[in-house]
Amino acid sequence: MTLLGEFALWISLPFAIWGMVVGFVGGRTQRGDLVLSAERSVYAVFFLHAIAAAGVMAAFLGDRFEYWYVASYSNAELEFFYKVTGLWAGQRGSLLFWALILGFFSSLCVFQNRKKHREFMPYVAAVLQTILLFFIIVLLFAEVNPFERLGFTAVNGRGLNPQLQNYWMVIHPPTLYLGFTAFTIPFAFAIAALLNGRLDARWIQLTRRWILTSWLFLSVGIVFGMRWAYEELGWGGYWFWDPVENASLLPWLTATAFLHSIQIQETRGMLKIWNMSLVLLTFLLTIFATFLTRSGIIESVHSFAEEPKIMITFLSFMAAVFAGCAVLILYRLPQLRTENQIESFVSRESAFLFNNVLLLGAAFSVFFGTMFPLISELITGQEISVGPPFFQRVNFPIGLALLALAGIGPVIAWRRATKKNLQKNFSTPVMVGLVVTAALWISGAHHPLALTTWGISAFVVTVIATEFWKGTKARSRIEGEGYIPALFHLVSRNRRRWGGYIVHVAIVMMFMAFAGAAYNVDERFHVQPGDVVEVDSPMGHTYTLTYEGLSTARQNGLRNLLWQAIATVSVQKDGRSVGVLTTEKRQYTTQDVGSPPMTEVGIRSTFGEDLYLILSAIDDAEAVVMRGDSNAQGIDLQVLVKPLVNWIWLGCLTLVGGTIIALWPSVDRKRAATEPSVEPDAEGARAGAAG
Amino acid sequence: MTLYVGVALITAAVLLFILQPVVKGLHASLERDDDELTDTEARKRIALLSLRDVEYDFLAGKLDEEDYRSLKSELTAEALAALEADEAARSDQGHPADGDIEAEIARIRASLKDGVVCGDCGFANDQGSHFCSSCGAALADQTVG
Amino acid sequence: MKKNGRFMVGLVGVATVVTYLIWTGVSETMVYYLTPVELLERVEVDPTFHQVGVKVSGQVIPGTYRRQDGELLHIFEVRDLVDESITFPVEFRDALPDTFTDQVEVVLEGRLREDGVFEANTLLTKCASRYEASQEELAG
Repeated sequence: MTLLGEFALWISLPFAIWGMVVGFVGGRTQRGDLVLSAERSVYAVFFLHAIAAAGVMAAFLGDRFEYWYVASYSNAELEFFYKVTGLWAGQRGSLLFWALILGFFSSLCVFQNRKKHREFMPYVAAVLQTILLFFIIVLLFAEVNPFERLGFTAVNGRGLNPQLQNYWMVIHPPTLYLGFTAFTIPFAFAIAALLNGRLDARWIQLTRRWILTSWLFLSVGIVFGMRWAYEELGWGGYWFWDPVENASLLPWLTATAFLHSIQIQETRGMLKIWNMSLVLLTFLLTIFATFLTRSGIIESVHSFAEEPKIMITFLSFMAAVFAGCAVLILYRLPQLRTENQIESFVSRESAFLFNNVLLLGAAFSVFFGTMFPLISELITGQEISVGPPFFQRVNFPIGLALLALAGIGPVIAWRRATKKNLQKNFSTPVMVGLVVTAALWISGAHHPLALTTWGISAFVVTVIATEFWKGTKARSRIEGEGYIPALFHLVSRNRRRWGGYIVHVAIVMMFMAFAGAAYNVDERFHVQPGDVVEVDSPMGHTYTLTYEGLSTARQNGLRNLLWQAIATVSVQKDGRSVGVLTTEKRQYTTQDVGSPPMTEVGIRSTFGEDLYLILSAIDDAEAVVMRGDSNAQGIDLQVLVKPLVNWIWLGCLTLVGGTIIALWPSVDRKRAATEPSVEPDAEGARAGAAG
Repeated sequence: MTLYVGVALITAAVLLFILQPVVKGLHASLERDDDELTDTEARKRIALLSLRDVEYDFLAGKLDEEDYRSLKSELTAEALAALEADEAARSDQGHPADGDIEAEIARIRASLKDGVVCGDCGFANDQGSHFCSSCGAALADQTVG
Repeated sequence: MKKNGRFMVGLVGVATVVTYLIWTGVSETMVYYLTPVELLERVEVDPTFHQVGVKVSGQVIPGTYRRQDGELLHIFEVRDLVDESITFPVEFRDALPDTFTDQVEVVLEGRLREDGVFEANTLLTKCASRYEASQEELAG
């Protein structure tokens, strides 16, 4: 099976080349037979890559340690689940996995459109094959072939790093990849539009679902990564501004900007060049993210030497794509002229434009900060880096401005808004924001950044809640429905708009959680069994923790474990018992000898905060684990209280809900195709007129 | 042995699948589909919807009267232009052009001036309509215009 | 057109603010990123460099890790990735990340004290999923 898989990967190469060539030729010469052949090659390459991926999986499941990739990321004792998902445990398999997902989305797109949008599809198929071809070439010729053999058969594999043996770490890469690859479809349609001259909003309308789906997966993928870091890295942190995290944030930022700016092109025929550039930029950033995540270019100092081949391949590809698209855009410049002008500084168009500038500004600063070591080395010969303080300093103000815009955008009028209607729409929300800020100040919260965030959050929530309320009330009155059916119908008649509002609320929830970190509590204790410690939370609760003791177990290799030491702590909240938390140290057989054991934390979550326990150190592991000495159970216990942190995960769920609503298909397909995203709200308007 | 068989089978199958269209002259359709909106239809749609936007922004209190009136006359002119462009495109393409078309245009002009464009589907209803003749939705209480 | 002018001013204003933030951000938070070889050279040439916060990447030397009993203090030795004879000891007083192993590649932020020990404030390790085993390791 594995040999078959390897073969399948090799022969996907000529077929991808064929597909690319006949797609472009067929589109240019309008030859339907060539186009059909190109579309079939999309299906065929996907089929072959599925066989290749199955081959890799078979190698893992069969413990085929003659393959470098299997020997590096698996061993005989590894749990079945992690063998199956070994395909994306490391760089090589991930690249094949990427090609597989891209092939899947390409096939889906071609199949969906086999009778539609025919002026685009030949070029779309050709572009998709070109990108797939790039990945095939990388896999086969840049020394990253997952089928590479060792030349001998290792007795056993190295095993999978225990930190990767975690649910979140398994689903985080695929989710991100789904996001990255889904964005290739809008990019392909954009190129097709440049080639066939249909440069109005058509290519955007056709790919709206793909854009939104890609954005959804990107958002969720990033949050999964945050959850993994929070649970597994043992510090209670979820974002470190490290190069890999930043790389996945970049396309998310530009995709969010894109989601907003396309609405302007759809309704007003403006920003055509801007949108073309944004879709190109976002695509390049997804390629850049793959490249950065799976090579080591940023961590190591002077790392050009390490993996030159793959770096050169990726950089050349990105440069070629950039150059090709630039040429096409310049060629089509006359047709990309704007149809209208911005009429007022104070309008929804203007708010969207500021949104774009801010998001791009954030993206630029993240990119700049991440690449700074390389840039400074090229210019000054000296590597200089910037860390989290830089990113926070630049991005906190930008983030707050964006948060405010999220409340301004929904209510400000298109084209031009006057002072009177600004007053009418914004006085209450601004008032609420100020009142909330004052109330928080009075109750003891004085941290300026946190206060500002919460104040603006209150403003945004008021704006959106009012929109929902006005709309529901009006509809209920006019249609004679109860509030619940009215709300349901209101939302269902304009899903993009209301789904979008829900997503804005989700973002607010997450910002509230980020601000909560200003009040994190971090205390360290040294305890013996029976000791009781107290920790106060910023929310006003008191946790009374009793260290019960350390229980140890020698696992002798079961699940790759040598031993476990579990510390049990009983928890009382404000005097009332709320159960027991455990935190552990684990020593795995797959760790290098002499490495310290790994920590598993204990978390107790409520809406208000998390209680986060870390077994930092065992006084005398030797005595208590190896000799079972029950007098040696002293430990270092770190206790963290993290206010509002669960609003991140809740916000993510809300984001998913809102996006699904926005994605939900309408019945009238023809209408849906030209439905601008900014349908004003009839019910809200009547409500406004009524009072 | 089975490996070679597998290899041969897969290669042959894929090759056949991909080359069949060229060899046998099978064609993918390259025609624009009938129910797709043309450029001019899409523009007309959007122009009518923008008019509706302005109506509702005013009703919701987002625009004051002066702005509303000037925007509305701008947009009405735009909508009429888009309408005429679309009709011209249709007759160019040889769609059946009845005398009814002229009546249609006149009716639409009238309803644009009277402001009973439907909130949901953009259909221009007759003056005094309470429900849209095209999609059945309730029309806004138009006390202005 | 006048309205457009005001608008452009606004956009340019935002862009300027962002640029300013980046500029000051860089100058206030930048940190030299050195190899152990470079760090030791710098310190020899310029003794005041002992006070400067720097970022260093290297590799933990197997067998040198130990935890100080009774306090939250980790001690290990780090060597240059290229010239393995250049080493210095490191003291780290915070919780170790779980990715820390006996021979992991690390990025440390802190300063090199006059006594030759590197006092680390933060410690980052190379991401587990990108660690690539060598042929020799696999041969066992």
